[in-house]
Amino acid sequence: MTESTMGSSSQVSRSGDRVTYARFDISQRVEHFLFLLSFTILGLTGLIQKFSAYQLSDSLILALGGIERVRIIHHYSAIVMMIVSGYHVLVLAYKVFVLRARWTMLPVIEDFQHLFHDIGYFLGLRKYRGYYGRYNYAEKVEYLAVVWGTIIMGLTGFMMWNPLSTTQLLPGDFIPAAKAAHGAEAILAVLAIIVWHFYHVHIKHFNKSMFNGKLSHTEMMHEHPAELAQIESGQVNRRPPLKVLRRRQQVFFPVALIFTLAFGFGVYKFANFEVTAITTVPQGETARVFVPVTPTPRPSPTPPPTLAPGVEVGAMTWDGYFAGLFRNRCSTCHGVTKVGGLSLSTYQDALTGGNTGPAIVPGDPDSSILVQKQSAGNHPGQLTIDELDQVIAWIKAGAPEK
Amino acid sequence: MRRVGKLLLVYLACCITLGGVVIMLTSITRVSAAAGEMPDMNFSQSQLPSDLSSIGPVVSNEICLGCHGKPGLSMKLFNGDILDLFVDPDNYAASVHGKNGYACVQCHTNLGTYPHPPFPATDSRDVTLQLTKVCDRCHSGEYNLTMDSVHAAAQAAGTREAAVCTDCHGSHNVRQWTDSKTHVILQDVRLDIPVTCSRCHFAIYQKYRNSVHGAALTEESNTDVPTCIDCHGVHNIGNPTTAEYRLKSPELCASCHTNPAIMDKYGISTNVLNTYVADFHGTTVTLFEKQSPDSQTNKPVCYDCHGVHDISRVDDPNTGIEMQQNLLVRCKVCHPDATSNFPSAWMSHYIPSPQHYALVYYVNLFYKFFIPLVLGGMVVLVGLDIGHTFYVKTRRARHIPPAPVVDIQSPAGVEPHDPPPQLEQDYEPQHNPDDGDQDEEGFHD
Repeated sequence: MTESTMGSSSQVSRSGDRVTYARFDISQRVEHFLFLLSFTILGLTGLIQKFSAYQLSDSLILALGGIERVRIIHHYSAIVMMIVSGYHVLVLAYKVFVLRARWTMLPVIEDFQHLFHDIGYFLGLRKYRGYYGRYNYAEKVEYLAVVWGTIIMGLTGFMMWNPLSTTQLLPGDFIPAAKAAHGAEAILAVLAIIVWHFYHVHIKHFNKSMFNGKLSHTEMMHEHPAELAQIESGQVNRRPPLKVLRRRQQVFFPVALIFTLAFGFGVYKFANFEVTAITTVPQGETARVFVPVTPTPRPSPTPPPTLAPGVEVGAMTWDGYFAGLFRNRCSTCHGVTKVGGLSLSTYQDALTGGNTGPAIVPGDPDSSILVQKQSAGNHPGQLTIDELDQVIAWIKAGAPEK
Repeated sequence: MRRVGKLLLVYLACCITLGGVVIMLTSITRVSAAAGEMPDMNFSQSQLPSDLSSIGPVVSNEICLGCHGKPGLSMKLFNGDILDLFVDPDNYAASVHGKNGYACVQCHTNLGTYPHPPFPATDSRDVTLQLTKVCDRCHSGEYNLTMDSVHAAAQAAGTREAAVCTDCHGSHNVRQWTDSKTHVILQDVRLDIPVTCSRCHFAIYQKYRNSVHGAALTEESNTDVPTCIDCHGVHNIGNPTTAEYRLKSPELCASCHTNPAIMDKYGISTNVLNTYVADFHGTTVTLFEKQSPDSQTNKPVCYDCHGVHDISRVDDPNTGIEMQQNLLVRCKVCHPDATSNFPSAWMSHYIPSPQHYALVYYVNLFYKFFIPLVLGGMVVLVGLDIGHTFYVKTRRARHIPPAPVVDIQSPAGVEPHDPPPQLEQDYEPQHNPDDGDQDEEGFHD
């Protein structure tokens, strides 16, 4: 930033008794506002990403609409800051090459002397502060920190924004290194603004010149006494003669146009440099989920037992039919367990019967307890009606064994 | 006395606060411990008809096995399937139910009479699906958990193959899988779990068996490694393809991989989660998991780089992602244009040190000194300024009565003794460049 005083007439304005001194023109104030706006948003959206594990960051990220939205806001703010910075370089070039203004922002030896004078003053060793010019060391430190910071943040930001392109030229570890530098630099910048900038222009004395562009005579006495003396003695930057100015402008404007176009293209490319990643979700397991072990191992049914050889299958005799029927239907109770004393395992057992009498009385179904129990129904191991009819018919026929 | 009372009050407040913090911390750990526990066994003995006489005449197992204990009984189902009705008595006796003397009719409740009531099953799968419902009678806790599972959802959607109780536990041969006192799964049972799941998920099982975890389990009988249920759960097995599961998965892996008790045995770093979360991918996934667990993000989770079921050792010469060329393959899944330098943009779970990621380490080191240096200088200067202002103010308040405001544009050479109270008279009324204390000012062009 160089001084761009347009002669003493515009430098000093009087209204009644009040004398004010122009400090920042409207374009500088707008520039400052845009820079502080983008800086604040970048700082906020950046630090909550850096410290995302903290509850406060978490809440802020949620309030801003999630991490992806926060990143988009961060990127847009970065573009605004880049444009403001580009504009600043352009204006700087105009002042340096066309107006040939003095480099009032460059640190000089005098600034270190002012620093020592101030320290002496604070410690009570000197009566007065440093004899500051247009920009004192505090302002120069801050300006240069912004220049340094913007360059570092821009470069490291580009690397993180475009990791594929960066790693085509540089080793991969530049990306995490860029991230480390970006985060650390952000902390430095934000804390420096709070400690240094806020103290000097808001807390110590609220300096409104960045908003109304003016400083009072008192403020000038305190903060820029050397510049005030200069103005009052008429030593100000003079505009070059119109002819010279026109000649320089003829060179500057085309160059500035090219710079603007190139810079605009650069910013556009910065934001759209590469497609870093796919937008779909990477596939998880690719194997088919349901692949049963084939063939599904199921025990094959065991074959039904074959009947004893020599038996006439289906003959209405004990051996031919009823032994099997009673084994299947009744032997769970009236087999080995002999529930109620009855077993139907053998023909003889059936004739003998159980506690209440013979189960089968050949020729007399009504006296056969088996028929009585089964006819009453609800016996565990109930025969079907057909089966019972077969049993009755068999008993009527004398209940042949073979 | 009042002073003592005050002290006691402060002491009491401290105790309460401390107590509160301790309670909060312990409840947090307890909650997290509870969350880590597997939902297990809310089976209680009281649910069981343990006193068999109380449920009326019980048909003893000998009676059932009198028919069903011998090979040969079978029935034909509606579709022609043959249902084997044989129950191996030895097999049943060895089962957890057999050992504890449960009766057949306690599960087959409708079969206490003979002839048995008709059993209308369309096919053999239908038999299983109908009979498995009885598990609910004693194991309703587990049964209800399965109702929330992906298997139950598949059943509800008409996929009859989806697993039900007996598909995993077996039926007559059901084994004791947990310790009866602690209800923690038995170590030797863990060895069988992947085989159990493989009956339906054989393709995945084959991948698992060759993975670092699966090989350790199947070849070395190492039970430190996860089996299927450690990641997928037991009864309420969720759908692992949801955004929710994906976002939770890093914590799942971390539950073992941040545990030094397990990891130290194998010399594996426990810094895998914090280094992941510190990076772009992990930061995003963590925030999504916290803020919108249902929404999908394409930032990778552990298994996107390490593999899902085919996780290999990182130093495996063919697939290990410690090798940059192997990692690049993984990077390219999401970053198709990645080139050979790109994989090292990820710090491979290393914390930067002079050995690993020295550049990052030195950048951090630089700022570790640079930030305090710059800010310290600023704080010192601002502090001196503030201190001086206070000193002047208090001195004036003590010694000098309020003085009339002196025009700060006072004539040259006159020392303003009483500056306006708002602004300290800190500037030189007239700068004298020839003052020995002062040096040349540069504003004279």
